[in-house]
Amino acid sequence: MNDITLLREVGPDAAPLPREVRSSARAALLAEIGAVGIPARRRLWLPSRTAGVRITAGVAVAAVAWTAAVVIAGPDPTGTPASGVTLVDFEMPTFPLSLDPVPEGLRAAFDGDADGSSVADYRDAAGENGFTIYVSDEAPDPGDVQGREVTDVADVDVGRRNAELVTGREDYCDVDDQGLASHCRTRPFAVLVTEWREDLWVSLSGQGRYTEADRLLHVADSLIDRPQPATLRVGLAPAGWSVQFFKMGRVLTLVDDADEQQTLTVQIPQPADVVPPGELLDQLMSPVGPLVPVTVHGRPAHLVLLDSGYLDQRIWFLQAQFADGTTFELQAPEAFSQEQVLEMAEQVTYTP
Amino acid sequence: MSAGPPDPPQLRALPSALPTDSELIARSVDEPEAFASLFDRHATAVHRYLGRRVGDLADDLLSETFLIAFRRRAAYRADHVEVRPWLIGIATNLVHGHVRTEQRRYRALARAAGTQEAPGADPADATDRLAAEALRGPLAAALASLKTRDRDVLLLVAWAQLGYEEVAAVLDVPIGTVRSRLNRARRQTRAALGTTATFEETR
Repeated sequence: MNDITLLREVGPDAAPLPREVRSSARAALLAEIGAVGIPARRRLWLPSRTAGVRITAGVAVAAVAWTAAVVIAGPDPTGTPASGVTLVDFEMPTFPLSLDPVPEGLRAAFDGDADGSSVADYRDAAGENGFTIYVSDEAPDPGDVQGREVTDVADVDVGRRNAELVTGREDYCDVDDQGLASHCRTRPFAVLVTEWREDLWVSLSGQGRYTEADRLLHVADSLIDRPQPATLRVGLAPAGWSVQFFKMGRVLTLVDDADEQQTLTVQIPQPADVVPPGELLDQLMSPVGPLVPVTVHGRPAHLVLLDSGYLDQRIWFLQAQFADGTTFELQAPEAFSQEQVLEMAEQVTYTP
Repeated sequence: MSAGPPDPPQLRALPSALPTDSELIARSVDEPEAFASLFDRHATAVHRYLGRRVGDLADDLLSETFLIAFRRRAAYRADHVEVRPWLIGIATNLVHGHVRTEQRRYRALARAAGTQEAPGADPADATDRLAAEALRGPLAAALASLKTRDRDVLLLVAWAQLGYEEVAAVLDVPIGTVRSRLNRARRQTRAALGTTATFEETR
């Protein structure tokens, strides 16, 4: 018996589909079929993410982008908020490599999940020149990307490692402030791939000036084994929670391991999307409490309880600033006490 | 005047065969009620796949799978993948929202099995049904320890019985990636069971 057969025959099995479950699911489908044409259908996003989408129109574009990039899960109608949480020290996952030195004028942003960070994006202030470092445990294929035409594959050396430098042209579109593609064109690309060590492949993808082979190779030569923390970090988290994902260096979501409907999100809004405190109550959806003035990082901040619009669940929304004046927002389930929300916020750090 | 050639015999139309899944989806774009037949055809298979992965939560995810499929029916491409794998792919994405539930289930099954019977000491016994039964616990523990993307590929092949190309299509990854993930998942599963079982290679 091979392992696949073993899985089929003695792997975990399922209970038979109960008649009432089948009937209920079929009825739900028929109701949906009957409702076709009726606008404003219920979205299937997790409530706290939906809340993030709805806070301001400006935030909506960015929030939709990262919401769409993660799992779309249906709300669990049986999910109930925890009655309370206990905050404990928390270590963020890291990206396994660093650059020494970091090219002047570039800043890093990391993407990842509970297993660690797999993407480090280094970009200049204009966002036009830079490179992205991907790490994975399987060999990437830079040519296997839609809209990309490989024109050359060259063997190169990175330190004492063999590498492939893949170059060509790729389709590229700008994304407007509605999240729609515009001004499409082709541009050159260069990707350098090397096996850093067993089960760790590194792919370095250059943009702008970093599509030049020499420049990309120079970056690759400066890669070292030194883990880097994410730019947006929390120093505390509820016991039993873990990182669900972090994106673009500006968004971090934690999730309750026992109830994946319960999430906590910290995000750094773009400066243009920061809502003036005097307009918060008007722009936030369904506030159910007053705007409470509080202090975070020694600066004035504002806390308000919102109706999430989902299963009568309410969430805290905090707008606060770091010492340098950068605004951040924190959303947490109502199971957090007001003091715990502030404790969490005091331990949020941002080092772009 | 001679009569012309006789009219050809009228061909009586044969009862039409049942529409294929793809035809039902295509029809459902304009006639949404046609989609209900797909539920009747595939609900049991989708529920069993979900149930093996997330237990009782399958009851909820079954409904969501078909609701999402219905809403995306206009984007379905028959040349890309058949309907059953397409539905299984949607179900797999829903499981991703409950990874911890899935892992807890496997760990609980591993613990429960561990209290019942220890694995056989003789590797040769793995070919024996009783010895295979004894591997339930270690097998569940092995599944809990796999990375989600590797587990997806392994279980799409083992439980949903999809081919490599179908797995590649529903996960939207190159077929080479499917092979490497499957190899890794199988290697790790065998390693986890290695002290208690030997395996035949799958061809």
